[in-house]
Amino acid sequence: MAYPYVHEREVRVISRNFGDPAARTLDGYRERDGYRGLERALEIGPAAVIDEVKASGLRGRGGAGFPTGLKWSFMPKAAVKPHYLLCNADESEPGTFKDRELIRWDPHQLIEGCLIAAYAMGSRHAYIYLRGEFFEASQVIARAVEEAYEGGFAGEDILGSGTHIDVTVHVGAGAYICGEETGLMNSLEGRRGEPRVKPPFPAAVGVYSMPTTINNVETLAAVPHIVRYGGEWYRQWGTDKSPGTKLFCVSGHVEKPGNYELPLGFPMMELIEDVCGGVAEGRALKSVIPGGSSVPLMDVEDCRECTLCYEGVEAAGSMLGCASVIVMDDRTNIVREVRRMVQFYAHESCGQCTPCREGTSWMTQVLRRIEAGRGAESDLDTLLDMSAQMTGTTICVLSDSAAAPVVSSIEKFRDEYLALIHGGATAEVA
Amino acid sequence: MSTVTLTIDGRRVTVPEGTSLLHAAEEIGVEVPHYCYHPALSAPAQCRLCLVDVEGAPKPMPSCVTQAQDGQVVRTDEGLAREMRKGVLEFYLINHPLDCPICDQSGECKLQDYVHSEGRAHGRGVEPKRVFGRDDFGGDVLFYGDRCVMCTRCVRFMEEMAQDPVLTVVERGDRAVIDTFFEQGLKDSPWSGNIVDICPVGALVSKDFLHKARAWDLDHTPSVCPNCSQGCNIDIHTRDNVVHRLKPRENPEVNGHWMCDYGRGQYEWMNRSDRLEEPFVRGEGGWSAPGWDGALASLRERLEGCRGPVHAVASAHASNEDLGALRELAERLGGGDIVYRSPRAPDEVPMPGFPVLTRRRDLAPNTRGAELLGLRRVGSDDATGGLDEAAAATGALIVLGDELADQPEDFGSRAELFVYLGAHPAQAARSAHFVLPVTTFAEQEGTFTNVQTRVQRFEPALRAAGDAQPAWQVLGSLTASLAGEPVPASAAEAFGRLAAGVPEFEGLGYDRLGVHGAPANRPAAVAGER
Amino acid sequence: MSAPTHVPFRNPGWAGNTGEFDLTEADVRGTDFVGERPLDGGHESAAPSYPYMLPDKDPEAVLFEGPYRERFEKIRSRYPTARGALIPALNLAQELRGHISPETMDEVAALLGLASAEVRGTVTFYTMYNKRPVGRFLIQVCTNISCSLCKGEEVLDAFLRHTDTELGETSEDGDFTVIEVECLAACGFPVAVQINSRYYENVLPDDVSALLQRLREHGE
Repeated sequence: MAYPYVHEREVRVISRNFGDPAARTLDGYRERDGYRGLERALEIGPAAVIDEVKASGLRGRGGAGFPTGLKWSFMPKAAVKPHYLLCNADESEPGTFKDRELIRWDPHQLIEGCLIAAYAMGSRHAYIYLRGEFFEASQVIARAVEEAYEGGFAGEDILGSGTHIDVTVHVGAGAYICGEETGLMNSLEGRRGEPRVKPPFPAAVGVYSMPTTINNVETLAAVPHIVRYGGEWYRQWGTDKSPGTKLFCVSGHVEKPGNYELPLGFPMMELIEDVCGGVAEGRALKSVIPGGSSVPLMDVEDCRECTLCYEGVEAAGSMLGCASVIVMDDRTNIVREVRRMVQFYAHESCGQCTPCREGTSWMTQVLRRIEAGRGAESDLDTLLDMSAQMTGTTICVLSDSAAAPVVSSIEKFRDEYLALIHGGATAEVA
Repeated sequence: MSTVTLTIDGRRVTVPEGTSLLHAAEEIGVEVPHYCYHPALSAPAQCRLCLVDVEGAPKPMPSCVTQAQDGQVVRTDEGLAREMRKGVLEFYLINHPLDCPICDQSGECKLQDYVHSEGRAHGRGVEPKRVFGRDDFGGDVLFYGDRCVMCTRCVRFMEEMAQDPVLTVVERGDRAVIDTFFEQGLKDSPWSGNIVDICPVGALVSKDFLHKARAWDLDHTPSVCPNCSQGCNIDIHTRDNVVHRLKPRENPEVNGHWMCDYGRGQYEWMNRSDRLEEPFVRGEGGWSAPGWDGALASLRERLEGCRGPVHAVASAHASNEDLGALRELAERLGGGDIVYRSPRAPDEVPMPGFPVLTRRRDLAPNTRGAELLGLRRVGSDDATGGLDEAAAATGALIVLGDELADQPEDFGSRAELFVYLGAHPAQAARSAHFVLPVTTFAEQEGTFTNVQTRVQRFEPALRAAGDAQPAWQVLGSLTASLAGEPVPASAAEAFGRLAAGVPEFEGLGYDRLGVHGAPANRPAAVAGER
Repeated sequence: MSAPTHVPFRNPGWAGNTGEFDLTEADVRGTDFVGERPLDGGHESAAPSYPYMLPDKDPEAVLFEGPYRERFEKIRSRYPTARGALIPALNLAQELRGHISPETMDEVAALLGLASAEVRGTVTFYTMYNKRPVGRFLIQVCTNISCSLCKGEEVLDAFLRHTDTELGETSEDGDFTVIEVECLAACGFPVAVQINSRYYENVLPDDVSALLQRLREHGE
């Protein structure tokens, strides 16, 4: 089964049910060995679950790549206060489109992951926070959660174990920054989704001021498999520092865009050329953004030897992020696309921190001017200066994200900027 | 308490554990620029101006929320910290209208100050600026959106202190702006003036003060709010001998950083021009103006022949020293009843986030002082009535400060001697034999005793009107000459005399009251109950 | 594998025939699985999970009565604070009324015991709250990076041209409001367009006219 494409080199662990509508139902999921991970979790107990996840080396799939087991172990052991598990399904990093697929094709897999995580951390309540635009996906997961309650997998006395975990499907209302964990918490509290200054960290003071852990959809989707088959089993794929499989969301100028589940450490050029059928219309490659719009652009040279794992992409000068590979062919106007990304960050800046609030919109204005052929070479220095002032200076990393494509594009595609500056808007940049 | 020792800008400083870097720096006299941080409010660390360079930290740290650690090495004055600040300040100016010439905040504006001391010499922004325009928030508050630095102090004040969240940030990103619920405004919040005070720039300004004076032309005089018995510590801002505004002065024991709109708004009376400017004496041939020497000489003469209980009417707007001098004179003359009238509001208005500060029912600053000095309160809550005995007095009658507005024309007409001491002419004082001009609290120094029985000093903010003198000086010199004692030469001496005779004030040195005052002694009986 | 033949035109509202699979639209969307969602929100766990954006709106609708009241109460029960229920409650209000007016903010504030200004702060932070009435079909075209690389702006222009509107303006017949939207997380299926509650993917400029015609005639 395939949706929309499948490739023989894929290792389909969490995407095994993509393209299989029968797997959506509780019965279908059970027939496909669903909820076995939860059963095992209840057998071995919370501490052993955390150990298993630690042993797997699973790293957060939301972009930062923080070790999941370690994150779980930060939660206070004594349940003096309510603990919360939040599933981050706000999927909003441009270039990323894996969570919606995970939710709509295999909702019970995610619910099972949430239940195991909540159980391991002593949480009585798990919220699945979907971005507001996911109407359809939210209905699929909502129906599945109802089924899970009906089947005794959620709610009071899960599978007769005496464990009580509630699951609530929550939808947001349109704000990229709610994908940032503390922004999501504020949003879940009915507030403006403004990120909070850390410390205190969520494991100490999170949503509703209670200990909270927040995990990405894809991270939680991997958990049932890890708990069922063991951490070592998961390590059979990937590299030492980046174990396991990962969904690669490939978009832009490729023949076969889509989600491909591959072992981490997969060579980037093979992903583009082989798995995705090459650059669309047989054109030449110009640039790749490997991890969603907030990571530095790579040029062809960077891509050649790059392997797709956390350390591999870092070595190539960018970041794996959430493995959202955006491919740009040789006709792409880099300045225009960079401007489009920065414009997005300006639109989505929450407005709290000055460098971000003012910087993202100023950057957009300068880039627009350059794009329109009214730029000056000194604008490039101003942009780089601004970028430096926007990196590492704010509560969250939104402004760093806006700066990354600007800095990397000026570095790698300076000629394109200069062509527009000296040749005007109609200059041949490609 | 355990302490930590760290190095800031090359200097070692030891502070209690849990102190923020910003406060630790303050200890050694280093002000780290900041907007969003305010000591009385929560700290969102969003202005990013107080970033400092902490050795070993991967990023610059916001000093307002970063706790000082043992052995930390912090730089606020060079390198990364300075660069970051310069950058942040440039961002602030990108959309700022630079309308300092017409901005009331000019001269006391933190944006102006910071940019002047560490900003770039020339801005690089050439793009069109964002325009929000102005908004009337109701009450005394006007909002200039384009000047706003989005520190959200005002929002947090309304949320945390007034606990009436009528302000919010609307929209987001560079469209974000402070607003109320559409046209609802501040809903007559009794505390709204404070948001003007804590606004670090000219975004929130007072309509009352709008375009009235430049900050640098104003003189600031430490004083005490005379408008209720809370005794909020204030500064009186004057220019050319005119009071232009009252601003709260921090006192953690009394008013924190705040004051109420009622107190803040009642200052025009200090500028009243219908003043008594010289002493008048009524003789056989009518009124004469013999000057202080002449008036006091003839009054002394009259007083010497006057013995027996006196009737005295005082005011709770008079200072401890004034009231003490009145009491002493009355005692000298053979004792008697001293009464006062003072308006009372129906309710108290506490500040929910800092209930120590409450607009009290007594709308005068020194009702507690009057009580301690044994004055008896008469009249109703609107400060009328209650003076029938005084009005019909036959012996000596002294009125200090009460304008007698509700009193009949023949008030005191039967008195053997009627002395009126006041700042303003009073119709009902027409029977007085002596009308002596005294200064208002704003024109003299002295003390008030607030509702917490705290004795607090105030300084003269205005020149006296004409030849008006402080009442303690006038009354004190009369008593002194009757007793053959030296005349008190200062408010401090007047207070010293008072302290000697009132157990609650005993041992409180005038100088030691300092800028924040001191609690009076608890009377023995009350202290025993503890 | 070949694409299904019953697709009325290239983009029926799902990833269409660009992949290598043989699935119906219902298979991809999971509509059979979901079935008809009850107006009262179903189980409490699911009550905050959706509202729809519907073509028919009633700006005067009561907040809340009948099954909507039940849904509101269920929502309220899932959050430890009143304010926690604010976003789902606003979603529900918009489902009924089509947009969030100042009056709606005020009413929702009263329902949850919040200050109106707090509600306004929240509403204006989120882009999915329509501050003004919109057409029967709210068309949101993604022009972010992946869609931008695949003619996102051309698709946006096509929608504007065919509806004869400016960005954010409602067409004269009250049918369409076209706006630009940030990344819809459907980057592999460009250009992604959200029309009311539903995603339309792989939309190309040439599809737009037929898509609008279909909306006019058949609704969503």
